[in-house]
Amino acid sequence: MIDQIKQIIENLNGYGFSVLVLVLGVLEFSFGLYKKRWNKNEKWVDIACFTIPKLIVRPLVAYYSLLVLPAILPGFKNFFGWVPFFWGCAIIAVADDLTQYWYHRLHHQVPWLWRFHRTHHSASYMGMAMASRQNIIYTIFFSQTYLTAALVYLGLGIPALVVKGIKGTITTLAHSSIPWDKPFYKYKILHPLAWVLERTISTPATHHAHHAATTDDGVGYYKGNFGNMFFWWDIIFGTAHISRQYPKAYGISHYEGDQWYAQLAWPLFKSKVPGSELAADGPMVKDDVPLQPHQLYRPDKIQEPVAEQADTAFQLQPVKA
Amino acid sequence: MKLEQSTKTQIIKNASLSLLLYILPIALMFGSFAITGERPWEKKQHQQKQQTTAKTKVSNTQDND
Repeated sequence: MIDQIKQIIENLNGYGFSVLVLVLGVLEFSFGLYKKRWNKNEKWVDIACFTIPKLIVRPLVAYYSLLVLPAILPGFKNFFGWVPFFWGCAIIAVADDLTQYWYHRLHHQVPWLWRFHRTHHSASYMGMAMASRQNIIYTIFFSQTYLTAALVYLGLGIPALVVKGIKGTITTLAHSSIPWDKPFYKYKILHPLAWVLERTISTPATHHAHHAATTDDGVGYYKGNFGNMFFWWDIIFGTAHISRQYPKAYGISHYEGDQWYAQLAWPLFKSKVPGSELAADGPMVKDDVPLQPHQLYRPDKIQEPVAEQADTAFQLQPVKA
Repeated sequence: MKLEQSTKTQIIKNASLSLLLYILPIALMFGSFAITGERPWEKKQHQQKQQTTAKTKVSNTQDND
């Protein structure tokens, strides 16, 4: 059984994960879920953030795993190779995901760190196109990558591979613009399952709330919902907000399309948008501004006034003075 | 712009709890070993010893040739 699971996950890590992303991406575009928001600048940001960091981060992780770790931990290679598969998965899952929770949370709560994570939040849409959208400095210092690489060196390679597959699938589905969790909230019979699901893993409803452009409408909550694979970190630390709804608008309320190079590599390159958080003279954190109608991803439906049905015909009488 | 004091306190409090959460799966694993009496690290040591003995035998045979 465990071998079968390992095989499935190995396939998922190989071609399966790429196929999942591709299929989701195609579906999102087919259903028009980007709603013409994927303009030229946003395309450049998403594509540059998807490709360029890989050219730097992968060799860096390889160097760290093959040269740095053996040098600083000589004789510890496979030292914990005896750890049973199940417990190896539990150790890796907690170590990796809890570290990412903290890395993510600190970038939201510590003001000087915000601009390194801002690129991921500037998209006014959700989906496969923006899932890898990160500033390169944020990606390079992704702390859990190095912790997990160290655990792989210590002998937890196979559990790491399995956790990576599961985590990749959950975070991809949480970023997707396809609200696959909707039926869990719609049908009463599924409510108990929904209760468990939304407290265990990141779902579109909870993660989309984290990407909302506003936080005071009872749905959006960019001040919390930091969990990546597991949502229970937010539950434990009191940073969770569950509404079972999807935000009206995504992104940053005062975003005006900073250039792709500034979003990819701030502070090496600065934005030319005056007053932007990424501009040379920009503020560290800018206050929210009221949302404009064009920023709404889900505009309020205009309700037709209901014509009152009069039961009886009124006979109007002139008012006597 | 500075980090708010209430946020700072919350971060420190939650980070302390996180240390326990990091240790939790390791503690549970050793707890399960205590219940089941399993000692997987000994198996590994035994395997390593056997491998070392086999290697020594091979090298001794080669030396005698």
